[in-house]
Amino acid sequence: MNEIMNLNPVLLIAVPIGLAMLVPILGLMSSKIVKWVPVVGFLFNSVVSLAVLPRVLNQPIIVKIAGFAPPFGINLVAGPVGMFLAALIAVSGFLVAVYSLDYIHEGAAEKYHILFLLLLSGATGVVLTGDIFNLFVFFEILCISSYALVAYLGNRSGIEAAVKYLIQGAIGSSLLLIGIGLLYGQFGTLNMADLAQNITSFSEPSVFVPMILMVTGLGIEAAIFPLNAWLPDAHSSAPSSISAVLSGIAIEVGLYAVIRVVFTICHVTGSFFVFLVAIAVVTVLIGEMSAFGQKNIKRMLAYSSIGQIGLILFAFSLATEFGVSGGLFQMLSHTLGKVLLFLSAGYMIYRTGSMEISSFEGVGKKMPWTALFFTIGTLSIIGLPPFAGFSSKFLIIKAALAKGDLLYILLMGIVLLGTVIEGTYFFRVVQVIYFKESNNKTEPEGPPVSGLISMSVFAILVVLIGLFPNAILKILTTAASELLNNLEYIRSVLG
Amino acid sequence: MKKGVSIILLLILLWGVVAALSEMPFGKAKLEVAGHYTDYGKEDTGAANIVTSVVLGYRGFDTLGEVTVLFLACIGLAVVLSTLKKQGCGARQTPSLILNTGFRFLFPLILLFGTYVFMHGHLSPGGGFQGGAVIASGFVLMYLSVPKIKRLNHFVSTLFESVGGLIFLVIGLIGLKLGSQYFLNNFLPNGEFNTLLSAGIIPVIYIAIGFKVGSELSKIIDVLLEESE
Amino acid sequence: MSFLQNYAYYTGAFGLILIGLFIMMTKRNYIKIIIGLSILETGVNLFLIAVGYISGGTAPIFSRSGITAEKMVDPVPQALVLTAIVIGVAVLGMALALAIRLHKHFGTLNLLEIREQRW
Repeated sequence: MNEIMNLNPVLLIAVPIGLAMLVPILGLMSSKIVKWVPVVGFLFNSVVSLAVLPRVLNQPIIVKIAGFAPPFGINLVAGPVGMFLAALIAVSGFLVAVYSLDYIHEGAAEKYHILFLLLLSGATGVVLTGDIFNLFVFFEILCISSYALVAYLGNRSGIEAAVKYLIQGAIGSSLLLIGIGLLYGQFGTLNMADLAQNITSFSEPSVFVPMILMVTGLGIEAAIFPLNAWLPDAHSSAPSSISAVLSGIAIEVGLYAVIRVVFTICHVTGSFFVFLVAIAVVTVLIGEMSAFGQKNIKRMLAYSSIGQIGLILFAFSLATEFGVSGGLFQMLSHTLGKVLLFLSAGYMIYRTGSMEISSFEGVGKKMPWTALFFTIGTLSIIGLPPFAGFSSKFLIIKAALAKGDLLYILLMGIVLLGTVIEGTYFFRVVQVIYFKESNNKTEPEGPPVSGLISMSVFAILVVLIGLFPNAILKILTTAASELLNNLEYIRSVLG
Repeated sequence: MKKGVSIILLLILLWGVVAALSEMPFGKAKLEVAGHYTDYGKEDTGAANIVTSVVLGYRGFDTLGEVTVLFLACIGLAVVLSTLKKQGCGARQTPSLILNTGFRFLFPLILLFGTYVFMHGHLSPGGGFQGGAVIASGFVLMYLSVPKIKRLNHFVSTLFESVGGLIFLVIGLIGLKLGSQYFLNNFLPNGEFNTLLSAGIIPVIYIAIGFKVGSELSKIIDVLLEESE
Repeated sequence: MSFLQNYAYYTGAFGLILIGLFIMMTKRNYIKIIIGLSILETGVNLFLIAVGYISGGTAPIFSRSGITAEKMVDPVPQALVLTAIVIGVAVLGMALALAIRLHKHFGTLNLLEIREQRW
């Protein structure tokens, strides 16, 4: 145990990449072992990240790559935020990999597993790195593997969605790179802590312009309001296991990067947050209202992700300790809940052969476990006790009330209205699943064991976190103070 | 309408960028980090080419990501194009005598030049990526002139691709295990400055990258070409 | 005049960036959008290289004697551009592969005619 705790966090990135490069060689020998590679990789990552997590709560681990001290070399910052998200990515990655064992049976399965490994190692790289250009590189790994996975099934909608996603994503990464270039030109450094130290005021045009460029570029991946046109198509066209990862992890990693730029590098204060809160509220309303009209289950879940991202951004833009830890908590409960929803919807779609919500009539009797997991996910996303979503939404409401400003309370009301809309359309699906008799007499069978195991672990996690939110609240408050207090961050990196 | 909106957006972008650029005049002196690289890069990494010492020494982790991106592109292309049904090959012009003779004469030279470029990456302009691109251009010439049967062997290219990347990673992990405990640490002696066998792990990594990039770029062209036939 | 002399590279780089963005935002033919993307990436790379230039500087390589560290240009943007080019190649490759698939599925590359999925 002690040895695992002392492992270097760089392995969280290096091991999945190495395994991905090993897959083609293994594929030449035997095609059966290939699908176990992501399982092994993310089991390793889960164990390491969960073992290291308690250690970084006291003192962030600064990993100097190649032994050069920051700001001269690239460094990883395994702080509370980074390790918390890395652990979340690793655990969900492991469970989705288990689910994929039997779910992925068409197409080039070997390449699916490579892309899946690289997608999540890119995400892990983004949350752990302490260098802005390195963040760009890992962000591109994340984006390019998402483009390929959206097109994985090779059908008309998949290709169309991937084309749209690629065009918008490519513009986003170019804007991000221009922003990085502008910052480098002025401050001569790419290290995030060093940049943060050199930036005294974010409102000068020389800092504000690159910040807006970077936030826009990253915001496309995070699907913040005017930049989210690609999301519903992309998330509904991918295989369900990938939709789960894209909705549950990829967009949150994008949002993490936005938050890192805004909080740590530029150390924004004051009126810019009001702007962010306004955008967040619009994102919530647009997402939830579009989801309301959907007849396709995966599009509905994708739009609901936009709403959830808006809620998370709202919590972060409160810029108080409660708000930021509420946002991180909402990230956790959204990941668990939305991945669970996509995974269970995946087998419901597979067995009924249709993505239309109306075709799920009677699924509750034919596939009782899958329907139960879907319902648990629904209740958690809506935010009913005793599920994880309740605790996180409660924390966010508390944070908005603690602001004491009438404006925030008003906006919180609008966000709650979004939650009510969310509840309506989710309950409609649950009603179809349980209370409508199907005319169709064929017997759809339940999912295979691997799928059941993975979904039940997610469901158990959702319930456990809902029942004992205090267990992770300490991690969240430490993480929130890392984000809010960038002097602490600078000191721990630069010494 | 659409054009008007885009022009307005681009003008706002231009205005913002001009405001930001006024703080950074063209051609101003180096700042802290770059100055450190040119002053101490020689001693720190042993490479005469400071760009190489940045690419594989100070910012080696970026390069690992970069190698991964190229690997990813190769896999992604194969995924996007794999499920297509192969259509009958269209009539293809037979290559002319000039192309065939030129290919036989130039192909070994191109490979030799590519190898030179990636082996001398730490001494002169160039490196693994550039050398790999030169090698891939040789393979493009081959695709133009040789009929399909004699194409690149997929088994060999897969092997080069994976082994090249794995060598990079394993070298990094050896650095993590040996002595100083840093990932990608230079654990080989720096050798005599400005000679072929210097700069520790840098030439080893660049040779691995050269093979990898060469086979990957050739494979990308191969996959795209197969579809167009 | 002195503005152009001082900012010629920036002007050129941002000229390319704006042209590329304009093409990507207004054109509806997928191949033209890919061309726009390529121009945009070239512009960004040119901008990064221009950021690293130092008046009277030379290539940062100690291959000949008599070259001192003071005369060298900034090596970092050159390393960044190397990475950015490779990433650009990867994105362009993906875009072109998707173009082949798009044409096989829909028989057209005009994105206005390919609109099966709507909000």
